[in-house]
Amino acid sequence: MNTAILAADHIVKRFAGHTAVDGLTLTVPKGVIYGLLGPNGAGKTTTIRMIMNIYVPDSGSVRLFGEDGTGRDHSARIGYLPEERGLYPKMRVLDVLVFLAEMRGVSRRVARARAGEWLERLGLSDWRAQKVNALSKGMQQKVQFISTVLHDPDLLVMDEAFAGLDPVNSQVLKDTVLDLRGRGKTILLSTHIMEQAEKLCDSVCIIARGRKLVDGTLADVKRTHGGRHVIVNFDGARGDADRVFADRRLVSKADVSGQYAELELAASADAQEILQALVRSGARLARFELAEPSLNKIFIDLVGPEAATPTARSEAVDGG
Amino acid sequence: MAKLFAVIRREFRERVRQRWFWVMALLGPLLFAGLFFLPLLLAGSGGIKRIVVVDGTRTSFGVGVASALQRSGVFTAVRVPARVGLVDSLTRAVGAKELDGFLLLTDAAVDSGKAEYRSSNVSAFRTIAVLERTLGQLATAARLERAGVNPTVVATAQVHLDLETKKITGGKTTGESAAQSFSLAYFMSYLLLLAIIIYGVNVMGSIVEEKTNRVMEVLVSSVRPFQLMAGKVLGVGAVSIFQFLIWAVSARLLLRVRARFASTTALSDSASVFQIPHVSLGTAAIFTACFIGGFLLYSSMYAAVGAISSSDQEARQAQQPVTWLLVLSFFGMLGMLNDPGSKLAVILSLIPFTSPIAVPARWAAGTLSAGEVTLALVLQAVGIVAVTWVAARIYRVGILMTGKRPSLKEIVRWVRVG
Repeated sequence: MNTAILAADHIVKRFAGHTAVDGLTLTVPKGVIYGLLGPNGAGKTTTIRMIMNIYVPDSGSVRLFGEDGTGRDHSARIGYLPEERGLYPKMRVLDVLVFLAEMRGVSRRVARARAGEWLERLGLSDWRAQKVNALSKGMQQKVQFISTVLHDPDLLVMDEAFAGLDPVNSQVLKDTVLDLRGRGKTILLSTHIMEQAEKLCDSVCIIARGRKLVDGTLADVKRTHGGRHVIVNFDGARGDADRVFADRRLVSKADVSGQYAELELAASADAQEILQALVRSGARLARFELAEPSLNKIFIDLVGPEAATPTARSEAVDGG
Repeated sequence: MAKLFAVIRREFRERVRQRWFWVMALLGPLLFAGLFFLPLLLAGSGGIKRIVVVDGTRTSFGVGVASALQRSGVFTAVRVPARVGLVDSLTRAVGAKELDGFLLLTDAAVDSGKAEYRSSNVSAFRTIAVLERTLGQLATAARLERAGVNPTVVATAQVHLDLETKKITGGKTTGESAAQSFSLAYFMSYLLLLAIIIYGVNVMGSIVEEKTNRVMEVLVSSVRPFQLMAGKVLGVGAVSIFQFLIWAVSARLLLRVRARFASTTALSDSASVFQIPHVSLGTAAIFTACFIGGFLLYSSMYAAVGAISSSDQEARQAQQPVTWLLVLSFFGMLGMLNDPGSKLAVILSLIPFTSPIAVPARWAAGTLSAGEVTLALVLQAVGIVAVTWVAARIYRVGILMTGKRPSLKEIVRWVRVG
C-alpha cells in the first residue's frame, strides 16, 4: 500500500445528545478514488467536516499528507466541495474563482490565468465577466467545480459529489476526477448512490450510524462480503422461476426486478444446478452469469433497511 | 495575511461596485448642496428688492435714505421727488410686479418719526428690518444735527453694536458661536449614528449572505473565522471611510463654490444667515477616531448577530438590541447637550458603547479636555478588544449553524468554551 494521504484515527463527534461519528478509523492511500459510502444521516458530512477542520473531533485525530497540521493548514493542497454548494451570486464569475483561489493561497495573477484556462476547458469563457446569478444552474455547478480544483490540489474532498448534477456535468465531473487520479491526485468522495461509487471508486468505506461497517479496496470488499452471485436476465417467459428462487437449498437470497434477478447462492449450491432448475421450470434465459455482487447489494445487506432511515435528530444536526 | 487582504479587497470591491454605494455617494453632496445653498437662495429669493423712494422732504434726507438703502445690498433704491399721481402709478407698477414697493418720505420722518412703506409683501421681516434700521439711524442723525451736534460726533455715536457669542476652547477664543457649536455637535453625532448603523448592518448582511448562499463552508475550510470576520469589518470600514472622503471633498468644493456664489451676487450679508461651522483639524481627528472606534465596536457586534442568524429576517430581529444601544447613546447625547459638563455627560463619554457618539458631541460643544478625550479613546480601545474577542467566539461557532437560532444560554456557552 502507498503512503496514506489521509488517516483518521478513531474520530468521534457528538452533538447535543447524539453521536454523529463514533470512533471512525479510515485510511486513504495516495492516488486512489476513495468512496465514503453510507445512507443519509450516517455521519459522512460530519466526518468530512472533521477532515477539513471545520469541526474539531471530540476525540481521535486526523492526519493529512502524513504531516502535522489541520485541514485548514493544508488548505492549499486540498480541494473541497461541500455538500451545500454555494457561490456569491452577485459576483462576476472570474472574480469569484480568483477570490476562492486566493483563499487557498494562490496569487491573483496565477489564479486569473488558471481560471481562464478552466473556463475555456469547460466551455464557459464567454461567461467570465457575467455575474454568477446570470448563469444557469448547470453552469454554476461547473464554476463551483472549477473553484474546487483551481489551486491544483493533491487531495480532492467531495461531499455528495454527484448530488444535483445534471447528466452532462456528472460526466464532466467523472472525467475530471479520473484525469486527476491519472495525475497522481487522491480523491475522497462521499455518496449514497452506489452505482456511481462502483464505477469510480478504487476503495470504499461503508459507514452507518457513525460507525464503519467495512472498508478496503472494492475488489476485497466484494470478495469478502459478496458471496457467490448469479445474474439472470429473462427473455420474456419466466416460467416457474420464482419457485426456483425460493428454494433455499439453492438460493439464499434473491433480488428480483422484472426481467432481471440477482441471486446469492446457498452455501452448498452449485450454479449449474440453478441453471438446470431454471431451464426445467420453463424460463427462457437471455443471460446467466456468475458474477460479483453489486456494491449496492453489499451495501443494502450490510446497512440493513432500518439504517437507511436516520433519526430525526441526526438529520437536523448534520444532514449527511 | 494575504488571505485577510483578499477578504478585505473583496468586501471593498464588491461594495464599491454596487449601485447603492454611488447613490449614497451622490446623495451626500446633494444634501450638502441643499444645506449650503437653500438658505442662500431663500434669503436671496426676494433677491434684491426694487423700490422707489418717494421724496417729499425739503431737506437732503431723502437723498441720504436712498443712497443708504442702495448701499445695504438689499435694495436697488431710486429716489423720485414727490409729485401728484406718482403714488397711483407706483401702485400699479407694484401690482404689475415691475416694482417691489415704495417708501413715502416727508419731513414728518425726521420730525415725528413717521414714514410709510407700501409693498406687495410687508411681512418680509428682513426687508422691513433693514428699512427701519436705515431710516431710524438717518432720522436720529438728522435730528442731532438739527440740534447742533457735530456731524462727526453723530457718526461716532452711531457705530453699530453687534453682540457676538464666541466659544472658548482650551483657553483660546474661537470663531464659533454657541449655535454653531451646537449644530456641529448635533450634526456630527447624527452622522456617526447613521454611518455606524448603516455600515454595521452592512457587515451583518454580508455574513448572513455567506451563510445563506453556503459559501461559508468553503471559506471556513481555508481561512480562520477570525480572519474572515476581521476582513469583513475592515473591508466594510474601508468602504465607509471612502464614502466619507467623497462627502468631505464634495462638501469642501461646494463650500468654495458657495463662497464665490455669495460674493458675486452681493449676498455676503445674507450668507451670514446660515454659517457653516468651522471644523478644525482636532475636531476632524476626533470625529474620525470616534467613527473608527464606534464602527469597530458595533460592527463586530453586528457580525456576531449575523453569525447567529440564518436569514435576513432573523438577523433584522436579532440586531435590535445592538441598534437600540446605539440609538440610546444618541438620545443620551441629545439630552446632555443642554449641559455638556454634567456628570451624566462625563459618564456617557467614558463608557465605550456610548463614547463614540458622546465624545465628538462634547468636544464640539467645548467641554472636553484633551486628557478626557485620551482616556475615552483608551477605554474605547479596551472595549473594542473585549467586544471583538467575544464576538469572534460567537462568530466562530455561529457561522456553521443553520436552522434554529441559538438561545442566549447557548451563546454564553460558545463564548465560554470558545
